[in-house]
Amino acid sequence: MIDIDERYVEKKSFFNRLLVVYIFFGIAFSFFLYQTYSLQISEYTNYESASIKNKTKEVLVQPVRGIIYDRNGNIIVKNVPTYDLILKPSQVISIENFLNSISEIIDFNESEFDYIKENFAAKASLNRELVIKKDLSMEEIAKFEVRSYRFPYAFIDVRYSRINNYPHLFSHAVGYVGGVNNEEIENILRNQDLAQIETIFKYSNGFQIGKTGLENTYDDSLRGKFGKKVYQVDATGRLLKEEEYIKPISGEDLFTSLDIEAQKVAYNQMNNRRGAVVAIEIDTGAIVSYVSTPSFSTNAISNGISSNAFNSLIKDINKPFFDRASQGRYSPASTIKPAIGLFGIEKNIIDWNFSMKDPGFFVLPEDQRVYRGWREGGHGNVNLNKAIIVSSNTFFFSLAYKSDINELINHLSNFGFGKNVCIDCFNPDNGLLPTPEWKMNNLNFGWFKGDTVNLGVGQGYLSATPLQLAYYSMILANHGISQNLSFVNKNKEKKKQKINIENINDQDWNKIHSSMIGVIDSPIGTAKRLQKLKKFKVAAKSGTVELVSTDTKEDYKIIRKNEGNRDHAIIIAFGPMPNPKYAVSVVVENGESGGSVAGPVAIAVLNNLLEK
Amino acid sequence: MKKKLEFKNFSIYFDQYLFISISLLSVLGLFFLYSASQGDSNTVIKQSIFVGFGLVLMFILSQPDPDFYKIFSSLFLLIAILLMFATMIFGREINGAKRWLDLGFFTLQTSEIIKIALPIFLASYLYNKPLPISLKHTFITLTLICFIFYLVYSQPDLGTGLVVFMAGVYILFLAGLSWKFIFTSFGLIILSMPFLWNNFLEPFQRQRILTFINPSNDPYGSSWNITQSKIAIGSGGMNGKGYLDGSQANLNFLPEAETDFIFAVIAEEFGFIGICILLSFFFFILLRCIYLAFNARDRFCRLTIGGLSLVFASTLFINLGMVVGIMPVVGMPMPFISKGGSSLLSFYIAFGIIISMATHKKLMQK
Repeated sequence: MIDIDERYVEKKSFFNRLLVVYIFFGIAFSFFLYQTYSLQISEYTNYESASIKNKTKEVLVQPVRGIIYDRNGNIIVKNVPTYDLILKPSQVISIENFLNSISEIIDFNESEFDYIKENFAAKASLNRELVIKKDLSMEEIAKFEVRSYRFPYAFIDVRYSRINNYPHLFSHAVGYVGGVNNEEIENILRNQDLAQIETIFKYSNGFQIGKTGLENTYDDSLRGKFGKKVYQVDATGRLLKEEEYIKPISGEDLFTSLDIEAQKVAYNQMNNRRGAVVAIEIDTGAIVSYVSTPSFSTNAISNGISSNAFNSLIKDINKPFFDRASQGRYSPASTIKPAIGLFGIEKNIIDWNFSMKDPGFFVLPEDQRVYRGWREGGHGNVNLNKAIIVSSNTFFFSLAYKSDINELINHLSNFGFGKNVCIDCFNPDNGLLPTPEWKMNNLNFGWFKGDTVNLGVGQGYLSATPLQLAYYSMILANHGISQNLSFVNKNKEKKKQKINIENINDQDWNKIHSSMIGVIDSPIGTAKRLQKLKKFKVAAKSGTVELVSTDTKEDYKIIRKNEGNRDHAIIIAFGPMPNPKYAVSVVVENGESGGSVAGPVAIAVLNNLLEK
Repeated sequence: MKKKLEFKNFSIYFDQYLFISISLLSVLGLFFLYSASQGDSNTVIKQSIFVGFGLVLMFILSQPDPDFYKIFSSLFLLIAILLMFATMIFGREINGAKRWLDLGFFTLQTSEIIKIALPIFLASYLYNKPLPISLKHTFITLTLICFIFYLVYSQPDLGTGLVVFMAGVYILFLAGLSWKFIFTSFGLIILSMPFLWNNFLEPFQRQRILTFINPSNDPYGSSWNITQSKIAIGSGGMNGKGYLDGSQANLNFLPEAETDFIFAVIAEEFGFIGICILLSFFFFILLRCIYLAFNARDRFCRLTIGGLSLVFASTLFINLGMVVGIMPVVGMPMPFISKGGSSLLSFYIAFGIIISMATHKKLMQK
């Protein structure tokens, strides 16, 4: 036992020690209170948003893509809702077993099986869905639904197929759509402030973006905006209730200047030959017809195609995917002659009365090299009018010979050569307007006088796309007024502009027009065979693109045995004269005669456009 | 203040301050539990039976004279230790831990009993030892403490084990452990930390402590609990989201919302203001305990009141510290609030004994 004296000491020590412990706890509690304060007050906003992020889940809702119309309000491309059978490949262990059991219910053909097997692994690794059968019938839906418990990883849902009503007519003009890749969908969502990376994989399923043609150039407006559904979720990720629904904004419809009927005529006239047709409304610069043949079905590409079918398209020697209208490079050949003639007038090298003898060839004074015309013996005395009608090479060789190359290049550039002339074409090629610098840089040779002479008849290094030729044709028709081409009438970037060409008056333009009318109407015109076909007065200039240089007709007969060596047929035309409304260019690869092969296509398109 | 109500021939021992504040806290606890259990009235009814029973038990236990506890303290400890052994043999295993003894009507967490029995026994052992406590008594006491700590720890229940250990050390400290011993052993403990770390902690316990030190290590693994708890507390803000409107708790983001993390539910729904009001009840109870300890009739009573109130304080602090992320997650209920019968009852028992110690006076001492 402790005694009474010690009791006082003990009591005091106890109090002190209890206070020490309580002070320790006091400090600990202050620390706790400080921590709580900083969580709830200082960092409140962070934790509040973390809590909201925890309990909400955004599910993106895809917009419906805009419809594409022709200029008469007819639908070119539409969206067709279909009930599709969809599989989650990442959950399926054996695709063979799955296909065996699913084919007891729903019929699949060989190419569908191939398509599924080919795409299964890729979709599984990306955790994407795979559409295994499109457009189920009501019977198929019913058959599947009653047995759906056997297929936990397959389901039926509405998906929109992008259907072109004329799948082969607009393969290059309108183009096709395709599945979106991760980077593309990320950009699209980020632009909409919807950067939900983890949901991208899931909700981009079936979302299509324009890959080529107008589907691509107008993708931003056609695509629309994603909507979203905001759900409350619990910790297990179960969707509890819909808290917010922002509707998707459907893509804007695209009203193009294309004309389905004219397109049909152009396509049928081409009859699967390799080539292109471009027709332009002169007053607006609107493209009304744009055909590159042979073509392919955009519906097959947009909505799934087996790799066999795709490979045979890719390997086709006629290159159906190649857009000849804006990417094919062809020498303008004799179609360049009206522009060269105007250059001679402008620079006072010649006038309308100037005439010279055409012996059928031109000898370059510098090296005595002979440049031949297309007709042995020549065309006798020719002035500019006759030179255009009969397509005298000698006249233009000699005119080019007297020209300053830099001035000539400048002049041709006014007509769209060597530059982009279209606002909304998909990936157009600029062709080539050769300059001395270009030749030095690319071929390591200086510019020869002979190069200038060749330029006078549109041969040599000069090349242009059918689109540029149509543009050139439009400027000729419109007395030198240019405007950029577009598939949409109301395009704001379009503006009319007089090209930079002086000393050429309306009389000169009219004279050029009458020469070009003479190409068809004159008994000596190079395209006189078109007289019977045309229903309106049309101005034209045909051309024949030499692929292999030959000195005699006999030589040509030898090389033409190989179809690929045959000349390209080319023509530009506009009408009706004297007030032209449409300008056309046609190229038929290895078609040999501009007047009689490309010509009928151009006339048929003009007839169709003008008859309305 | 009346501590003793006289009714004819017998007296009733009662401290209205503790009784009222504890009752209020218990009722608030039921109110919070209703929200934390997402409106599960069964849970709340079951808990309210414990609360009612606990308040009655507290009242009954405050009637015997402190000498009763002093005399029977060794018996209590012996029973508690036997219960611990029984748990080891017959205990029910939940999630790899054997902590519960199924008594048919009630599942008893036996470590909650020893948490009370040990401080009372130590108080009765040390109350008559001269100051400062000799090395011999210190070692006897420490051996007992360590033995009981090990019993609890091996269940395994590190949290309660620590409280039991701390409870024993408080009594030893309050009883007059020599400062020389304190500083020497403190140094030794720090030096032996790495050894303890490698040999005494289970891998999951080490992981918990590691994630506590560096929570960003593993956002959806072991620190998921603490991350979600912080989000719940932080998103409560100043005023809270409102009763039953805490999304973290109601949508199951918060783990153990009814038990260990119930404070996070309260903080989410009632905000900083709400928890300040709640904590003021706890502070009042603790301050009342200091007052009662200072006015206790003898050294045994002082030690018991001091020791048991510190068991209460450390349980509370470990729980709060864990929930706000300043201590590792060791599994510790919030006294009077969290769901769970044994822990709830142990504190009614503790406060019943505290009231008994505080209200019985020896006339001869005046």
